[in-house]
Amino acid sequence: MLGPGIPFYLGVASALFAIGLTGVLLRRNPLIMLLSVELMLNGTNLALIAFARQHASLTGQVFALAVIAIAASEVVVGLGLVVAMARKKIDLDIDVLSRLRR
Amino acid sequence: MIAVGAWICLLSPLVAALAIALGANRFSRKATGYLATGSTAISFIAAILALGATLDRPESERSTVTTAFVWLGTHVGSIDLALLVDPLSLVMMLVVSGVGSLIIAYSIGYMDGEEEERRYFAYMAIFVFSMLLLVESANFLLLLAGWGLVGLSSYLLIGFWHERPSAVAAAKKAFIVNAIGDAAMMLSLFALLQHTGTLDFAAVFAQAEGLGKHPALINIVALGLLAGALAKSAQIPLHTWLPDAMEGPTPVSALIHAATMVTAGVYLIVRAHPLFEQAPYVQDAAAGLGAATLLGAGLIALVQTDIKRVIAYSTMSQIGYMFLAAGIGAYGAAIFHLMTHAFFKALLFLGAGIVIHALGGEQDMRKMGGLRKRLPRTFACMLVGTGALVGLPPLSGFFSKDVILAEVFSSGTYGKVLFAAGISGVFLTALYSFRLLFLVFSGEESEPARKRLTKHAGAEGPGWMTRPVAVLALLAIGGGWLEIAGLWHPFSTFLDQVAPPLVGAPSSAREWLLSAGSLGIALGGVWVAWTIYSARTQPAPRAPKALVEKLYFDRAYDLIFYRPAVALSALLRTLVERPVIESSEREIEAQTLTAGRLVTLTQSGLTRSYALAVAAGVSVIVIFFLALR
Amino acid sequence: MSAGNLLVWVIWVATAIICVGSALAVVIFRNPLFSALALIGNLVSLAVFYLLLSAEFVAAAQVLVYAGAVMVMFLFVIAYVGWETDVAWSGGPSWQTLGGITAGAAILAELLVVIALKAGGQLSQVQDVGQAFGSPRSIGRVFVSNHLLAFEVISIVLLVAAVGGVVLGVQKRRAEQERST
Repeated sequence: MLGPGIPFYLGVASALFAIGLTGVLLRRNPLIMLLSVELMLNGTNLALIAFARQHASLTGQVFALAVIAIAASEVVVGLGLVVAMARKKIDLDIDVLSRLRR
Repeated sequence: MIAVGAWICLLSPLVAALAIALGANRFSRKATGYLATGSTAISFIAAILALGATLDRPESERSTVTTAFVWLGTHVGSIDLALLVDPLSLVMMLVVSGVGSLIIAYSIGYMDGEEEERRYFAYMAIFVFSMLLLVESANFLLLLAGWGLVGLSSYLLIGFWHERPSAVAAAKKAFIVNAIGDAAMMLSLFALLQHTGTLDFAAVFAQAEGLGKHPALINIVALGLLAGALAKSAQIPLHTWLPDAMEGPTPVSALIHAATMVTAGVYLIVRAHPLFEQAPYVQDAAAGLGAATLLGAGLIALVQTDIKRVIAYSTMSQIGYMFLAAGIGAYGAAIFHLMTHAFFKALLFLGAGIVIHALGGEQDMRKMGGLRKRLPRTFACMLVGTGALVGLPPLSGFFSKDVILAEVFSSGTYGKVLFAAGISGVFLTALYSFRLLFLVFSGEESEPARKRLTKHAGAEGPGWMTRPVAVLALLAIGGGWLEIAGLWHPFSTFLDQVAPPLVGAPSSAREWLLSAGSLGIALGGVWVAWTIYSARTQPAPRAPKALVEKLYFDRAYDLIFYRPAVALSALLRTLVERPVIESSEREIEAQTLTAGRLVTLTQSGLTRSYALAVAAGVSVIVIFFLALR
Repeated sequence: MSAGNLLVWVIWVATAIICVGSALAVVIFRNPLFSALALIGNLVSLAVFYLLLSAEFVAAAQVLVYAGAVMVMFLFVIAYVGWETDVAWSGGPSWQTLGGITAGAAILAELLVVIALKAGGQLSQVQDVGQAFGSPRSIGRVFVSNHLLAFEVISIVLLVAAVGGVVLGVQKRRAEQERST
């Protein structure tokens, strides 16, 4: 294989994952939290593709496609919730939403 | 047959007690009385059957052990749920169930109308069961169980009228003094168990001689058993609870504190005589304490004003005689006197109960007098009882007391000393018991008597009360005829297999001489009582302070034991309890609250915090796995 | 190093910088619009990575589906909702902030450690792949043979999501109509 070896790709994937995780933990806007979750998913995807290349097995790519599909579905539902919250004029703040449960 | 009889005898009152306890209000008050009486009567019949079956057997085979199951088996021995039916236990079973059923029948009349009648009969049934357990047990452990249960029943019954603080205090006193004896007895049992590996009577007694080779051990064992006996039988120095126990209803005093429970100590000494014989000093101590109690109680009885207390001290004194006999090894005589004493003492108590009942609760003899005209039949029965107590022939007490005196006289120098005490006791007994009789029944009718007796015109009391008294009077008359010294002694022969006396039967001539002598002294005492008390015209002689203070025992115990204990506990309260225990209670409470508050912090309800927790957890776990590789 | 290799390396480094940089941008920007745009950049750079890894079909799907459809949906919603920024991080860094940064750093460190540990051994053996690896034909063939179940399940999930989206939207409209009457 030309270019950097698998470990490098995995390093980038780890970085994406960690950055996404930090975003989920630190940001309060649900939209940005969703974006961070997407980041994490993408990091995972990259790792999957890298491994698929390493083992010359298409299973990894199939899994990555599945992840993309699932991510899309999850975004649909999440955004639907955000829109519902916006309609009810609720603050888009995850901490406020957590307290709303009570 | 014997086994069946023994078990039915034991369990019948227990069944009744449980039925009354569980049945609560479903049984009418009268029904519980009948139930209790009936079950005790069944016990009596079962005991008779067992007796008959035992008599059928040859003399050497009269000891039967019936085991329900092995409870604790070791490689050395075992402790079982087992009953022993032999002449000694049969005599006790018959006395307990026979006199017990008469007294419980009497209670139906005496406790009629009581608010908590059912509780009373349940307690009485439990008591009879406990006492039977005590006398039927085949090993020391069951005996101890029965011992403790009779103590409990006594406590419950003394404090029956629990709204009265004096009754509650008396119950506590009885229980605590008994507990001292119980503790000493338990230590003995521990020692026995350790050295013989068993608590079974037969096994232990077989090893008695071996134990005798260790004087320290056997003396400790015997001493502990003696302490238990002293406490239960209210002998000096553990006697202080018995007079106070008169706070309970009169039938209770009759059954527990005259006829049966207090005689348990005598039973124990006779039963464990192989052990005592190996510790002769302890046996001598038992006899000596019996003599001391005999005299002391007799003296105190002279100055008592409460009718029941006189009879209580009389009981103490008579048990002193039994201890005297057992202490010198005259076991048959001791048990014989136990039996006759049960008859006439119960008779006296129940008769006193009729008097009290007729006077509406009055127990002070100074307020009584001249009741002979109103309660003639009661007077007759009380006369019989008193005569038996004093030892006038041909009443039962004459035979039993004289055997004791004769055998005491013939057991060495120490025996002569004890005999002197015993003979003086005869004088005192005659004096105080006829004093009671004269104060209550003779002379002019006293004011309170006249006022109250008008209610009970006619019968002297309900039939349930008078008839058992009559039966007891008959027993008091004829009960002694089982053993006429020198002529026929089926009773002592019966007991000899179990408890062979250490003292040989005295020669007839000597015995007749002694009988005549003691009879003379007794009559002398009667005469003195008659001169002083019968006419009731002279004021009663002033009582010496020492006697009124019951020989200062209560005061001494208060000073030596009670006050220091109270002071010590007050001291500990300030030094230990407040700073350590109460403050630690507060601290624990405060710390728990703080810890709880800390934990609450984790439950913020914020999604992000939970997410953080997840992330943190994951990272820790990954580190963990990395480290593992 | 051959020229081809060098070229790949250069592309790789550039793409990696864009990728990580845009990821940081997603997390750091206050305005969700800018975050979404940064994510689009991230997705495109990832597509380049996929191409480098012989996953052509996935790269195409990434751009079309993810960057094309999903992110556009995001942008629509952001436009609708408005881009009020996050409440400013008032006061000092809270437990949550510190904890979040620590957790993220910890996980990154752990992952890198694992990769480093394995870099010399298992991760260095790369198998050769043919030209057709990652082509739509191969993917399609795999979908209808080995991973048929996955294919079907994904379809169902997408269906459910579509239905869910419609339901969420319809309910709100009906509720709005009730409120306005």
